[in-house]
Amino acid sequence: MKTAAAILLVLSAVPVFTQEAILIRNGTIVPVVGAPIPGGDLLIEKGKISAIGTGLAAPAAAMVLDASGQYVYPGMVAPLTALGLINPPGSDSDINEKGLSVPQIDPYDALNPEDDSIEVARIDGVTTALTAAGTGSLINGKAVVIHLDGNLATEMILKRNVLLVFNTTARQANSYPSTLPGVLQFLREKLSKAREYGAKGESGKNRERDAEMEALQPVLNRKMPVLFQCGDEVSIRLALTLINEFSLRGIIASASADVLKYAEALAQKGIPVIWSGTTALPRRWEAVDLNYHVAAVLAEKGVLFCFNESRGQGSRGVRRQPVPAAISVAYGLSEEEALRALTINPARILGIDHLVGSLEKGKTADVVVCSKPLLQLSAKIRAVIIRGRLIPLTSIQTRLRDKYLMIVRERLRRRESQGLDSRR
Amino acid sequence: MRMGMAGLLLLSLGSVAAAQDVALKGGTVLTITRGIVDNGTVLIQKGKITAVGKDVVIPAGVPVIDVTGRFIMPGLIDSHTHIAMDMSDINEATDPVTPQIWMKDIVVSDHDTIRTTLAGGVTTVKTMHGSANVIGGVNVVLKLKYGRLPEELIVSDGRPQLKMALGENPKRLHGDKGRSPSTRGGTAWVARKAFSEAREYKAKWDEYEKARASGKKEVKPPARDLRWETLKRVLEKKMTIDCHIYRADEIEWFLAFCREFDIVPMQISHCVDGYKVADLLARSGVTFGGWSDWWGFKEEAYDGNPFGFSILDEAGVNIAINSDSADEGRYLFLNAAKVQKYNDLSDDAVLRMITINPAKSLELDQRIGSLEVGKDGDVAVFDRHPLDSTCKCIMTIIEGEVFFDLAREGVSAPAQGGRQ
Repeated sequence: MKTAAAILLVLSAVPVFTQEAILIRNGTIVPVVGAPIPGGDLLIEKGKISAIGTGLAAPAAAMVLDASGQYVYPGMVAPLTALGLINPPGSDSDINEKGLSVPQIDPYDALNPEDDSIEVARIDGVTTALTAAGTGSLINGKAVVIHLDGNLATEMILKRNVLLVFNTTARQANSYPSTLPGVLQFLREKLSKAREYGAKGESGKNRERDAEMEALQPVLNRKMPVLFQCGDEVSIRLALTLINEFSLRGIIASASADVLKYAEALAQKGIPVIWSGTTALPRRWEAVDLNYHVAAVLAEKGVLFCFNESRGQGSRGVRRQPVPAAISVAYGLSEEEALRALTINPARILGIDHLVGSLEKGKTADVVVCSKPLLQLSAKIRAVIIRGRLIPLTSIQTRLRDKYLMIVRERLRRRESQGLDSRR
Repeated sequence: MRMGMAGLLLLSLGSVAAAQDVALKGGTVLTITRGIVDNGTVLIQKGKITAVGKDVVIPAGVPVIDVTGRFIMPGLIDSHTHIAMDMSDINEATDPVTPQIWMKDIVVSDHDTIRTTLAGGVTTVKTMHGSANVIGGVNVVLKLKYGRLPEELIVSDGRPQLKMALGENPKRLHGDKGRSPSTRGGTAWVARKAFSEAREYKAKWDEYEKARASGKKEVKPPARDLRWETLKRVLEKKMTIDCHIYRADEIEWFLAFCREFDIVPMQISHCVDGYKVADLLARSGVTFGGWSDWWGFKEEAYDGNPFGFSILDEAGVNIAINSDSADEGRYLFLNAAKVQKYNDLSDDAVLRMITINPAKSLELDQRIGSLEVGKDGDVAVFDRHPLDSTCKCIMTIIEGEVFFDLAREGVSAPAQGGRQ
């Protein structure tokens, strides 16, 4: 890995480019679909994975990364973030447009490749993320899936119009709907109205274009799923009611162990779960480790689920994705399932699993090399590759460290040269 | 104030009465200060550690817990939390100067956050006033003896610490109400004014005590003021300060302020920019209290940096990993592992950040923070090495008594109705 480190240092000083070919040699390759390959090689050509095996030959122009003693994984997929919309402090964020129903809002229109949170997340191994326009309103905007690399919004996009976000906990403080039954009625009325609007269109009648109603059509004709941001039991039930009534392709996002009450139904209907409650505090009447077990039970019941440790959509904590996975393994989830819930499962839930989420021939070369298994939170990230590009392992935080390490050392040195104890 | 003192005396009596005997046998003992003992035993008698080692003779009658294959470490210590009380009670935000508030008065000893924190191997916490005020209340140190009377939880043998706070919170919370401070300059003025008045108050009382001591009977005592009574103790160094500061410039200001008034800074909490002034922290002897990887949730937190620990370590700062929240307090050991992700630091160095280092910050390192003979029998038992991120805490013992047992309280336990 010394070779790789040397190459990385050089790279941080050169402009963005994609290597023609990279050969990662002699690492433990963990494809997450299928068994790990000890002493394995992974070849990347033109941004795609072109071969996985042992004893692969390096093409002439290939950069070779020695991964001896290291672990090689697909990049992680973060299923519900606001990366690219979280502006620096002092300026307002571009999350959560005002209004109870704003499905016409597209985060693509505000996507900022300069968002510092992107670098911070990717140097810890997150290579793909869903960026949603918001989650706080009843009917929120659309979502895009981005590669965490690119200098222009267009360069970052993996997929647009991925889903809409509804929130079945979005009671309003002093106006309708202020209760959960009101929330259900509100959403039901909007979807019914949109269905009528759509029917008019199909019958060829002249209609006035309505951006909101237009934006709801893809979820009614099942071209786009609806991600339901839920909380406890009742709000999950409301989501399931709407999914059933309007034959929606639903996704349940929740931090409540109450999802377990619906685990069988969710598995049976193929409704996936974005689970963000592993590190949530249990309720007073619950066992201390209840939330730590939820992922294991979801897996056992056959629910397709993934982890989300973003802690609020605008959070900059996307890099914490492995935390709930590690805890869940301690409490009964298999390591294989935990790794899938960070990679291929979110890719499946977002409908991008044919492109990313596993190490397979032909897939996008999003690869992470770690010093230890990824579920060890002490694992150091040795290399990150996105679409075949070796990413400099730098962020606002490494730059601050480098700057202040020099400044602090210089002050210590000065004090010593004055004959003063640098430490007192 | 007199009431407060009387209360403290009672409390220390309470905690002695709860002591017990137990032996943990056959585990890997991470002593923190004296290396690792494989296949070792920790013997606790009357709540204190009486032996640590390979060939410990367990006296007849002492209950034995077999911890073969397990890892034993000192109970974890969190030198900055707000657990064990109602969150609505932690900020007396009606005035920027409230040193008359004592957190020990509002301890809820069966608060659910004690139960959940214990389950993460934590045995001692410092529970704090919030950051609304420039000078908040007096913090309290608790042993997490869940369900006992509050006075049995309170630890009173370190110097108490006064909470102060600089930066965005006090200037926003008070400034928005149209009063000082509404700027950082205002915050500095509020702090200086309070300590100046307290200094005058102390001088009056010193004069009075001197006159009394010299036999003058006719002198009248100055009027009591409970706010300045607390600050008088800070000026007498009978109390120290834990100050909430994010920015480097304010850290430098605060350390100078402490020199100006000759008062003792014990910990700087939320010390986001600490790495930028690691040399200043080290020189003052103040403890860095912070998080492993929080950043950017507000402007003054923007430079929060998990890579900063190596700079702090190199400069010789006493580093404590804090939770500042009920949820993070349950897995301080995972946060210690995360510090290793971003910094080349040894297992020993990061385990110290959740044991002996915070103990030093509480001035209780002679009593807790490592497994050594004579120290409190506070122990956390893990099924794997605590820096293996797939480990779990299976038992927490305080002064020889089991306060958390996963086999009894976990989802799978029969009493919990079995796993769902």
